[in-house]
Amino acid sequence: MLEQRKSRLWRNVLLIASILGPGFITASAGNDVGGIFTYSVAGAQFGYKVIWPLIPIAVSLIVVQEMAARMGAVTGKGLAALIREEFGVWITLLTMLGLFFMNTFTTSAEFAGIASASEIFGVSRYVSVPACVVLVFIFVLRIKASLVERVFVVLSLVYVTYIVSGFLAHPVWSDVARGTFIPTIETHDPAYLGTVVALIGTTISPYMQFYLQSAIVEKGTRPKGLLATRIDVANGSILAIVVAAFMIIANAATIYVFNQHHTAHPIVVTQASDVAVALQPLAGKFASTLFAFGILNAGIFAAAVLPLSTSYLVCEAFGFEAAIDRRFREAPVFFVLFAIGLIAGAALVLLPGIPLVGLAIASQVVQGLLLPLELVLMLVIINRVRVMGTYRNTRTANVISWATVVIVGVIALYYTYTQIVGIFVH
Amino acid sequence: MAFADGYLSELIGRQAVLQGPARLPVGRVVDFFVGKPDDTFPRIDGIVFRTKGGPMQSAVSDVVEIDVDGVLVLRNAPSESPAPENKALFLVKDLFDKQIVDVDGRKVVRINDLEIANTAGTLRVVAADIGVAGLLRRLGAGRIAPRLLDRVPRDLIAWDNVAPISDVNPTQVRLSVSESRLSRLHPSELADIIGELSAQDAARVVGSLDDETAADAFEHLDADVQQAIIADLGADRAADIIEEMDSDDAADLLGELDEEQRTALLAKIEDREYADELEELVEYESDTAGGLMTTDYVWIYPHRTTEATIGKIREIAPESEFIYYLYVTDDKRKLLGTISLRTLLLSLPTAFIHKLMDTDVVSVSADTSAEDVASAIARYDLLAVPVLDDEGCMLGIVTVDDAIDAIIPDKIANSLPRFIRHHGRRTGVGAT
Repeated sequence: MLEQRKSRLWRNVLLIASILGPGFITASAGNDVGGIFTYSVAGAQFGYKVIWPLIPIAVSLIVVQEMAARMGAVTGKGLAALIREEFGVWITLLTMLGLFFMNTFTTSAEFAGIASASEIFGVSRYVSVPACVVLVFIFVLRIKASLVERVFVVLSLVYVTYIVSGFLAHPVWSDVARGTFIPTIETHDPAYLGTVVALIGTTISPYMQFYLQSAIVEKGTRPKGLLATRIDVANGSILAIVVAAFMIIANAATIYVFNQHHTAHPIVVTQASDVAVALQPLAGKFASTLFAFGILNAGIFAAAVLPLSTSYLVCEAFGFEAAIDRRFREAPVFFVLFAIGLIAGAALVLLPGIPLVGLAIASQVVQGLLLPLELVLMLVIINRVRVMGTYRNTRTANVISWATVVIVGVIALYYTYTQIVGIFVH
Repeated sequence: MAFADGYLSELIGRQAVLQGPARLPVGRVVDFFVGKPDDTFPRIDGIVFRTKGGPMQSAVSDVVEIDVDGVLVLRNAPSESPAPENKALFLVKDLFDKQIVDVDGRKVVRINDLEIANTAGTLRVVAADIGVAGLLRRLGAGRIAPRLLDRVPRDLIAWDNVAPISDVNPTQVRLSVSESRLSRLHPSELADIIGELSAQDAARVVGSLDDETAADAFEHLDADVQQAIIADLGADRAADIIEEMDSDDAADLLGELDEEQRTALLAKIEDREYADELEELVEYESDTAGGLMTTDYVWIYPHRTTEATIGKIREIAPESEFIYYLYVTDDKRKLLGTISLRTLLLSLPTAFIHKLMDTDVVSVSADTSAEDVASAIARYDLLAVPVLDDEGCMLGIVTVDDAIDAIIPDKIANSLPRFIRHHGRRTGVGAT
């Protein structure tokens, strides 16, 4: 009886999964707390003129995600495993250190979201953040992660409210079009550069490639099934970009426009409740509540999945036992890494006086800075005939992804340079 | 011979020079190869150097000594690498960083380093280092802090317990020994390992097993893993494996496939009678007696003596797993009674079955729920319960282990689900 009920449930989950393929789930997972804050602050601070970078970012996102999916389908191995097998111990160690640092930082961004949301509801972060750590432990140890994942992804459709709110804010559509299709670059403004790096980092998170490839492997997709996977990846990417664009539009049409008219007393986005203003055209005085709900959902989900999958990837690369259903003694490295990632991420937001929004965006900047390094590793592997056979990269994919590496690399280096110069000047 | 016991990574990167006063530099050691990877502890035959003139090879026996600086001194100049030999296995290129199955530890691990030993003048691979010590050694800890490295606990698997996943190097070797090592495992452990691998690797490992071992392991796999592997194996091999599976597990598996795939597989099964039986079993809901039952039971005629019946069972029992209850039927398979093996053995040889059999039989019908089947088995302390149709004819039996599995909830604290279910039995045999 029970088994039947379980198998029916399982079948339903599979049904949802077949509509929400790995590409879709990965792209939705990209709209985490860091993403929401980054898009919101970008729109609030710079208005419509930060929409256009999303178009080249979308092209790169689709190409890069397709590469990850293809590598998973052809080799049947995760990206961490491939890096280990193709580059040996040293590069794997450096990659995993970078990944662990970056993902722990991003985990703290998720907790920053949880803290902001709870403070909108009037609950201190010193209560909500430890409570969520406990909650995540229970989630991860008691409930099947794939199920949790899908529930949260369905819930994450709450971001569609940004599309509605974007419309209701009555933006000047000609301005939106100009911002979308006419590139403007402000190389002298470090804040603008930082925003662009964060936009890239949050949309094409290095973590997403690892995640997608593992999901493809886990699903058992084969090269024959690549067409469906490609469609799924493209759909997911486009949806993620559209939602991102509307987050920018909703914030630009409300906060940015307000600031243009009230230069004396502008809204300076320093905390989450400021960003929630963008949802007022839709939700009115409930804007903060809606925003808090969305960000809480995204935060808890990602705070569970990020440390878990990071720990899994590190263990995959180094050959340590890694499975949630093992006892601690059987997979000590796995559980210790998970606990460190989770607790360190949570602890960071509890430092007194730490700016939550700034922290979340900084984590996305780090992702943007590390993205080119990840792409280089992926590109070397995907062009190896021994690994990919006839499925190695086409010239077009190589051109687009190398262009991404070079452009993001140049922006990242230039941004780092301006930051360092900034430190010495002050 | 010049080599001492140690680890392969300690030799990689060493300088090599030619014997003689000039000590002409040759290049650096980059790899080693074995000619017969199937041996229990394979002999290392050659060294690969990176030289200015490209990769070169020498026989291990060409190394005169390793001097105090750790430089390899060669007797002869190395020769150009021959065209890639199909049999040679390169230790660094093909084994370092790759996944292997630890047969004793029953898990999938990665090779960090290889332990080598000089056994009576022959250099051999003796163990795979899968531990942190091996990782640190690869990172050069042996040179920086040798004492510290000695303190790190080692994690070695003797090479005879190693089963490389056969795609270690698809263009070169198939380690046939390793596959029989895998069949040493209990089917449920083997299934655990298969479940840990990617679909591709899993299909390769299953493909390398004999039909019977593969079928046993298959019975313990999740439906989705089964399906992924079947897609890879091809219908012919898949049908061979299904034919070896117990009928209830085979039917469960077929039931999860789509119509077209199922028909294709059934058509390939050589034993037509069994194929028909499976086709019928697939029709039953998996949470009913029909879905749980196996057609592998022993039926006997009432008018025989115990002696004749025991003789008959001796003939057919090797093919049948469940012989503890014997089902007494007429020639239409209508159930008349049951008799336990115990009763049969302890009765007089001349006693007739119909005098001994228990006619008060607890039975279920094909649509009885799994829970009711289990509670019937529990209440009457049975090992199995017969499943009857409306006319009272035998359809099959549900054994106690299958009934238990059906009602025990699967572990849910599991992000990478690998449910283990144990089912039994094969197709029915009759004593006529």
